[in-house]
Amino acid sequence: MKKIEAIIKPFKLDDVKEALNGIGIKGMTISEVKGYGRQKGHKEIYRGAEYIVDFIPKAKLEIIVDSAQVDKVIDTIIQAAKTGKIGDGKIFVLPVEEVIRVRTGEKGEEAI
Amino acid sequence: MHGPSGMVQTALKPQDFTGLQARRQALDTYWQQGISGTVLLRMHSDFIDHHLAGSFKKAAVNEDDFALVALGGYGRQELYPFSDIDIMLLYDTSRKDELSSLVDAILYPLWDTGLEVGHAVRTPEECIADAADDFFFRVAMLDARLITGSETLFARLQEIYKSIYIEGKRQEFLHDMLDQRQKRETQYGRHTYLLEPHIKESCGGFRDIQSMLWTAQVVFGLKDLASLQEAGLISQEERVRFEQAQNYLVRIRNRLHYVSGRKNDQLFFEHQEEMAQAFGFTNQKDMLAVEHFMREVYGHMQTVSVTVDLFFEHVEEVLGSEESPKDVKTLEPGIELRHNRVHLVNTELISSKPRLFMRLFRQSSRTGKPLHFRTRKAITANLHLVDDKLRLSRRNAKLFLSLLGGPESFRVMEEMLDTGFLTAYIPELAKVESLAQHDIYHVFTVDRHLVQTIAELERLQEEEPNIYAVVSAPPILFLAALLHDVGKGFGHGHAERGADLARHIGARLGLEDDEIAVVDFLIRDHLFLSHTAQRRDLEDEELIMRSARKVKTPERLAMLYLLTIADARATGPTVWNDWKAALLLELYLKIALLLDRKDISEKEQVRGAELGAQWIREKVSELVPENITINFDLFSDDYLLSFPPEVIVEHITHARRLEKQEVLFSHEQRQESWSLLVMTRDRPGLLARIFGVLALHNLNVLAAKIFTWADGTAVDTIEVSSTIQENYEGQNWQAMQKELELAIKQRLGLEHRLGRKLAPLRNKPQPVQPRLATRVNIDNHVSEQYSVIEVFSADRIGLLYDITKTLSYFGINIHRARIGSKADQIVDVFYVLDGDGNKIENPDFKKELHEGLLYAVINQ
Repeated sequence: MKKIEAIIKPFKLDDVKEALNGIGIKGMTISEVKGYGRQKGHKEIYRGAEYIVDFIPKAKLEIIVDSAQVDKVIDTIIQAAKTGKIGDGKIFVLPVEEVIRVRTGEKGEEAI
Repeated sequence: MHGPSGMVQTALKPQDFTGLQARRQALDTYWQQGISGTVLLRMHSDFIDHHLAGSFKKAAVNEDDFALVALGGYGRQELYPFSDIDIMLLYDTSRKDELSSLVDAILYPLWDTGLEVGHAVRTPEECIADAADDFFFRVAMLDARLITGSETLFARLQEIYKSIYIEGKRQEFLHDMLDQRQKRETQYGRHTYLLEPHIKESCGGFRDIQSMLWTAQVVFGLKDLASLQEAGLISQEERVRFEQAQNYLVRIRNRLHYVSGRKNDQLFFEHQEEMAQAFGFTNQKDMLAVEHFMREVYGHMQTVSVTVDLFFEHVEEVLGSEESPKDVKTLEPGIELRHNRVHLVNTELISSKPRLFMRLFRQSSRTGKPLHFRTRKAITANLHLVDDKLRLSRRNAKLFLSLLGGPESFRVMEEMLDTGFLTAYIPELAKVESLAQHDIYHVFTVDRHLVQTIAELERLQEEEPNIYAVVSAPPILFLAALLHDVGKGFGHGHAERGADLARHIGARLGLEDDEIAVVDFLIRDHLFLSHTAQRRDLEDEELIMRSARKVKTPERLAMLYLLTIADARATGPTVWNDWKAALLLELYLKIALLLDRKDISEKEQVRGAELGAQWIREKVSELVPENITINFDLFSDDYLLSFPPEVIVEHITHARRLEKQEVLFSHEQRQESWSLLVMTRDRPGLLARIFGVLALHNLNVLAAKIFTWADGTAVDTIEVSSTIQENYEGQNWQAMQKELELAIKQRLGLEHRLGRKLAPLRNKPQPVQPRLATRVNIDNHVSEQYSVIEVFSADRIGLLYDITKTLSYFGINIHRARIGSKADQIVDVFYVLDGDGNKIENPDFKKELHEGLLYAVINQ
């Protein structure tokens, strides 16, 4: 099992969610995150006042999937989230040792 | 009060009332029988009395030296299903030895039933000593009641208690009471209308009721509401409303205990729906049962809260220092400032001079002092005098507007709302009074949210002085804030409805047309910035350009930006955060910088878009071969802004070939799609024919830009992909071009060809996919010139053909179109006019077209 973490542009969230639903991914954790990479925060001067945005708002998706599905999920996310411009985001794949459903105690793939 | 016997026929007797389960069943049975409110509390209390008296007797001690006393809520005979049972065993020091066996005899059976028991064993002297440093015990003693045992002992206790803690202690008592109330406010919030009100501790809850009754008892020796009325502390009307509220809250608390299965006095979100059902509410078209129910709850708690506020102000004044005449300052005829409160000198005055209503609020704003409680009562009692004449008075309206954005706008608006004056003056607000919104975002009821938005605007005034400085007429912004949700309570489309209502209100208040237009814009689009910031690509320059065109001026942008933040913050703690703030600021700055560009801002009316178009015109002129002359009158700004200059030059070059050739068609492979260009003379049904041919050739439309030049040349750019995974080379472009020409010339039977092609698909079982909501929207507001038709639907082959064919059937001309697919959902936007070149305004035709389109989309 793998955990896929995708950091994407906030306005692409709906597209990515729908695309993932389309390939049968039903559950995910979504959060509003802040950070910066190549796309740095920036400073704007408007009418003499300085406005500093020192981080870029992004959306983060976390999905646990069976290892066999990883490539498909990654492709789907890239396709839906890509604009071709700087700041499109990153995808991380992490190993997952175990998944347990709290309600039933089911483990492994059953619990995804 | 009613006892359990004789009141209602029931199979249950007090002696059956043991065991938690039996007790719950009994309570439920009573509820089903329609017994609720104070009757149920009293019955419960009598059950416990009966039980305890039995145990006391069985222990067979000398009754003269012991007394069993009920305290607190039990003392008042108000026992909710899972309330604690507070008892105290009073004894004479001489009988200490027999104590333990008696305590065992009383408490053990009680514990066995699973009841929560609070108990104490004291001599009268110990009682008095303990009360010295325990405020809650002192208050509980006010409600002490003898259940069984020695009356002499109990009377002795009562007497000492009164002489030490009540007589001559009125000031201290009031001080303690107000102190506790303050603490509750800090802990549970000032407002009665929070998302999950605490029926006991929140403002307007039972503690408030009780604190008023205790204080009345201690300070004035008044036992109940009737005597409060007699003493002139509350009016008959106030008393009736208060009692209704109290009874309602009693029923709620009863049921809440039952629903929660424990002692829970907070109306949690997850209980609200079940409670609403238990109270007999059903879902209505435009309001959920739970919203209806919560509205009643908030309304009643508001009644309690206001009554108690007024009461305490009265008591404070009575116990306060005597005023000296020099403290009195006349503010204007009929209005005085006394002890930092604005007073209406004579209540009678208001009936002859209704304009005093607004004058009072004006003085309160000007001096920064609240209205005196008696003046507030006078306002509430005379609201029937707020009539159309007053509502239409320009002088009055001027005063009102000066309060918006003036000193202490929030406090003054809140007083206006609390006294009922605001709703009387702007009756459109009645619909949102105490209106709850059953979701986890909206912490306040709509009316409170509106006033809260004013409070947030005041904060922003301090926090964002630079942006606020752009606003030249704060009253307009504040009025929009006060009214932005006035369209709620009717179901969907609250912003549009609110804007329409606000136009009327604005006209009534005597606003100028341009001011009304701003209010309309701010309300109609109050969600525009936050939606755009969170859902759209802010790097898309075309989007920024379009937004700038919609917003028009830096001032309107500043107002909308401030309103957006104030609205979000006033909604609830989860709605606004720095993540959203960053997105909104980015959008704001991008639009602001575009609107503010030196070269654009020279004119009063800034038109960023025009400038962009001008730049493109210049570019195009540079790029076009010298032998071609360009008539720029042919091209709308929107068209020019939709393509890079090189592409426009291509169109212009191509167009010259149209003199010899009926249809121009070209195709090009792009990275992820194929781009098609069709140019021809525009004619009715053109788009349907193009889309039909595309469907025949297994092409799926991803996006399309449809334009018509002023000379009637249609320029349609369509992005497509193959539905059968054909590659670009494999696609039979030649055949397609031929059929396209035939179809456009009406020499190709699209209907039967498509019918045959799609028939096998229809018989195939459809892949299971979530049904996407199909929606058709015909809007005449978005664009000045065109009616805008939006179609939301799940995608399928031939869908666009069906839509455009239907439009063509109705004689609708498509002037522009945007086809966008979001994953599997299609959002198509058509800018259209009817056959006569008019917008689609006729309601019947609009309805027919709507039905026709829905049918075309669904029934295939």
